[in-house]
Amino acid sequence: MLQFLKMASDSCIVNARYKYIHDDHKNPIEAIDAHHVLVRTSNSRVFFACLSALLLTSTAFSLSLLKDKSILILLWSLLLSALLVKLFLRKPVEKESIIIMSAFGVQLETQYGRGRKVHRFIPIDKILKPVLNECVTPVTCYWSLSLIVRGEEELTLVFKEIRPPVKMLIPIWKALCAATNSLGNLEQF
Amino acid sequence: MGERSKHRILMVSDFFYPNFGGVENHIYYLSQCLLKLGHKVVVMTHAYGKRSGVRYMTGGLKVYYVPWKPFVMQNTLPTFYGTLPITRTILIREKISLVHGHQAFSTLCHEALMHARTMGYKVVFTDHSLYGFADAGSIHMNKVLQFTLADVSQAICVSHTSKENTVLRSGLPPEKVFVIPNAVDTAMFKPAPERLSSDEIVIVVISRLVYRKGADLLVEVIPEVCRLYPNVRFIVGGDGPKRVRIEEMREKHSLQDRVEMLGAVPHSKVQSVLISGHIFLNSSLTEAFCIAILEAASCGLLTVSTRVGGVPEVLPDDMVVLARPDPMDMVQAIQKAISMLPKMDPQAMHLRMKKLYSWHDVAKRTEIVYDRALRCSNQNLLERLSRYLTCGAWAGKLFCLVMIIDFLFWHLLQVLQPAKDIEEVPDIILPNCQYGEKSGDFSDA
Repeated sequence: MLQFLKMASDSCIVNARYKYIHDDHKNPIEAIDAHHVLVRTSNSRVFFACLSALLLTSTAFSLSLLKDKSILILLWSLLLSALLVKLFLRKPVEKESIIIMSAFGVQLETQYGRGRKVHRFIPIDKILKPVLNECVTPVTCYWSLSLIVRGEEELTLVFKEIRPPVKMLIPIWKALCAATNSLGNLEQF
Repeated sequence: MGERSKHRILMVSDFFYPNFGGVENHIYYLSQCLLKLGHKVVVMTHAYGKRSGVRYMTGGLKVYYVPWKPFVMQNTLPTFYGTLPITRTILIREKISLVHGHQAFSTLCHEALMHARTMGYKVVFTDHSLYGFADAGSIHMNKVLQFTLADVSQAICVSHTSKENTVLRSGLPPEKVFVIPNAVDTAMFKPAPERLSSDEIVIVVISRLVYRKGADLLVEVIPEVCRLYPNVRFIVGGDGPKRVRIEEMREKHSLQDRVEMLGAVPHSKVQSVLISGHIFLNSSLTEAFCIAILEAASCGLLTVSTRVGGVPEVLPDDMVVLARPDPMDMVQAIQKAISMLPKMDPQAMHLRMKKLYSWHDVAKRTEIVYDRALRCSNQNLLERLSRYLTCGAWAGKLFCLVMIIDFLFWHLLQVLQPAKDIEEVPDIILPNCQYGEKSGDFSDA
């Protein structure tokens, strides 16, 4: 029976939209470095959900009063607004993680709102370099962390669905560089 | 002279690398020289084909190719407020202190300057061309220019003629306009190591073969000169709609062995074409400055040019022969130039040009303009609106409305995407190491 010795190097960075957790399990046999970014429910989502539900209910109520239609419409609208609230409050993506096993490779994991999980494993010798890229869209510019993978034309994004801020990406990038021995001058950081 | 503070400048224009031209080269060389002086320069332009996103050029010059599609003549589609989010993001993340727009015919430049003024940044505008007053296109463009320049901190023109033209078109007070001429990269444009023999005189023409550049004048001038001087040969480089006319002229007068057509000459090959000639002929009908004759003079060629726009201000009288844009007058000017040729010394001309024009000088003068711009007082929205009202009876009110909506849109953006959520980019220092690896100070990110 193997005992896992949990080294207490858990760190946590939080901002309005995302929460970053770093689990660093070091045991005698191998090192597993896990980084998780969780999506937090923002207040504006709750507000919009409740507002739209309220609007819908009040419209249906006034309609049923004015036009003397059956109470069925009101019931249907209540059901619809309950569904809307549930839909708004459910996040499309719950969590994205990267698990770095420096001997084997890197596992990218996306956990969706309905419990579906998508995994992707990249062997360590296929990773050429992890890069921090600035992506420009017509309305904004953000940082993204990607891997240059041997044999693939395009960069592999580490976080496919979410856009964490750069201060959460940097420790992950440093850990990836250390695992793949990419940069020689890491001592500057 | 005390220590000058270092600025962080955003250059905005639709025209930049990989396009080649006067404005593009100006922005590039000016940025390189400003980087050497210690300032930080970032360039913003639209995406060229697949070239989109962030790119780094020599010296650490950062270029944002924003993925807005160009719609006509390399200009971005003007949406008034569409570029506000990305402009705001770039200004905050690069910690810009000053915005410098180039070229009146660039929609991205006008929009970026408008947004920068709304957000309270100081703004400098450089005009590179002369424009008319009479036709419908010019009238509308001048109105747009009036709007942009109503609230600019300082403006720069490339010649005194251009300053007069800009001041008249935009109604800007002349005290706000500085004249800083363009320059030439004398290290690239060197004369031929050995002097060419003067048995056969070679006249070089390199320009876009369009109406504006006087291609029709060439059609009249070339056969006449060839008739008068049997030992004169022409080399014509460049392409355009008027190329057909010149080819026809060649056929008509049987000048195939005396007029050589090179087609479009890439910028890197221009010097090698220039050094194969004795005289450079420029027949433009309008020119704010004309860098082409600077390049020719730097290569040791004697220039014959039309006396239009800012051309007389460019070269000293002993290096250029000017003529009216009339074929007979130009033929006489070429005759005078041919007689002046034996006295010319290409190496001496090149050394003189080195002293007269340099991009470092342009950068230092531009730095003075930036210092002056940053010392302008900060004005709130109401004070700025009063300047727009003076633009015209209807136009003034329209401009005010546009600016008010921009202001409201900006405040909405500040709520939706607060400035503290936009992360500032650390200054990346590119080391001079073999593999070009970047190291950056990420410890304070």
